[in-house]
Amino acid sequence: MGDLLEVRHLRKAYAGRRTVEAIGDLDFTVPQGELLCVIGPSGAGKTTLLRCVAGLLPPTSGEVRLAGQPVTGPPAGMAVVFQEYGRSLFPWLSVRRNVALPLRHLPRDRRDALVSQALAAVGLSDVDDAYPWQLSGGMQQRVAIARAVAYEPSVLLMDEPFAAVDAQTRAELEDLVRSLWARLGVTIMFITHDIDEAVYLGQRVLVLSRAPTSILEDIRIDLPAQRDQLGTRGSAEFTALRGHLYEQIQRAKRGG
Amino acid sequence: MRVLRRALALLGLPVLLLATWWAASAQSTNVYYPPLRTILRTFRHVWFSDRLRNDVLPSVLRLLGGYALAAVLGIAIGVLIGESRTVRGVVEPVLEFLRAIPPPVLVPVLILLAGIGDTMKVLVITSGCIWPVLLNTAAGVRATDQVLADTAECYRVRGPARLRYLVLPAASPQIMTGLRQALSIGIILMVISELFAANNGLGYAVVQFQRGFDIPEMWSGIFMLGLLGLALAGLFALAERWILGWYHGQRRASRSR
Repeated sequence: MGDLLEVRHLRKAYAGRRTVEAIGDLDFTVPQGELLCVIGPSGAGKTTLLRCVAGLLPPTSGEVRLAGQPVTGPPAGMAVVFQEYGRSLFPWLSVRRNVALPLRHLPRDRRDALVSQALAAVGLSDVDDAYPWQLSGGMQQRVAIARAVAYEPSVLLMDEPFAAVDAQTRAELEDLVRSLWARLGVTIMFITHDIDEAVYLGQRVLVLSRAPTSILEDIRIDLPAQRDQLGTRGSAEFTALRGHLYEQIQRAKRGG
Repeated sequence: MRVLRRALALLGLPVLLLATWWAASAQSTNVYYPPLRTILRTFRHVWFSDRLRNDVLPSVLRLLGGYALAAVLGIAIGVLIGESRTVRGVVEPVLEFLRAIPPPVLVPVLILLAGIGDTMKVLVITSGCIWPVLLNTAAGVRATDQVLADTAECYRVRGPARLRYLVLPAASPQIMTGLRQALSIGIILMVISELFAANNGLGYAVVQFQRGFDIPEMWSGIFMLGLLGLALAGLFALAERWILGWYHGQRRASRSR
């Protein structure tokens, strides 16, 4: 299958009193249907990368293409799940209406069906009349995921989505992402600072350097497709990959 | 028990004040400070009569007209200013100038421009009510959460939908604050606009009573104004509870966490 997402010599510098080079040169592609994890030390420009890919931030040079089309603004068929679930759900809309909002152009019965399916897929069918702020953090992030799923995107971008939830919830949400990905065949770019999470989730992991960001390593994760929190994380391959990536991140922090 | 305590908290002070006034003024023989008993008796026969239709109703209609116009214009201009830095830069000095002009001095000007009819009175009310609405709306729109704005952008919620689902609700707590301030300003300007070149209205009636030495009637008019303000504030609180239900709920939720 072809490359769905192409990032071509992306560079981003913030002009100011002193120009800050955030992204030096990033060049990679994401094939259709891949689950790509991107890790890097803090300050590696992960969020800048995501905002450029999402069309929220114009790159200084280089370009992003989705299905061959240059991304100049948020493209159709791309959904984003942000880290700050509390600030990405509309507090004045119920859970159901939050999920339905991006679908308001669809005929009513089609929209209702998509929303119900998506809420069921994340295990939230029973709270659709509640407001987001009545739910726990983990449930709020499930709502954000349901909204992305209902949108039927070809690419799903996730920006450290589980950084602010507790460990137990985090494990559940990771498995939810794996199962949704396997079921829907959506292409996912998952940004995280957590090495374990990247290895557990990804088919492939990109390691970013410190700013100005470049790619330190592009590594394939040859773990079985069927993963589970205990078995996978306990396996020798997992430990080896994690050790290797840990070394890389340490190198990145030292600026090597 | 709780209902009783609430009722006591709500009515306790007004009852106490009225009782004090009643007792203190009961023996009054001063023409200018008639006993409350006299004022209340006068109130009934002055205001439960044609005056309700001939004075109170025109006043209320002017107030609502001017207030509604100020709300629509204030929110519309406030959104434009809050959304665009360019518009803000261009418009801000002019706004500061206009805001510094006390609306009552506009009365003579507006009489020249709009005559002495209802249009002038509505415009006086609008010219004062618009500022808190406009400035609060602009501040509220400017403070729209960036993540929420990014979310709307990613899901291509744009144009009128963006206004309806993002910008206006995000600014609604501040807009309501502006509208509440505008309401009390509106009542003041309603009275002021009726002091000049009017032949009906609450403000006109109070001045007429005073000029005719109908002192209890004059006091009863002031009483009527207070009651009108109270009723409007009550209606406003109901509307706010309905519109900002999500906001108060969210604040309660974040406090209890």
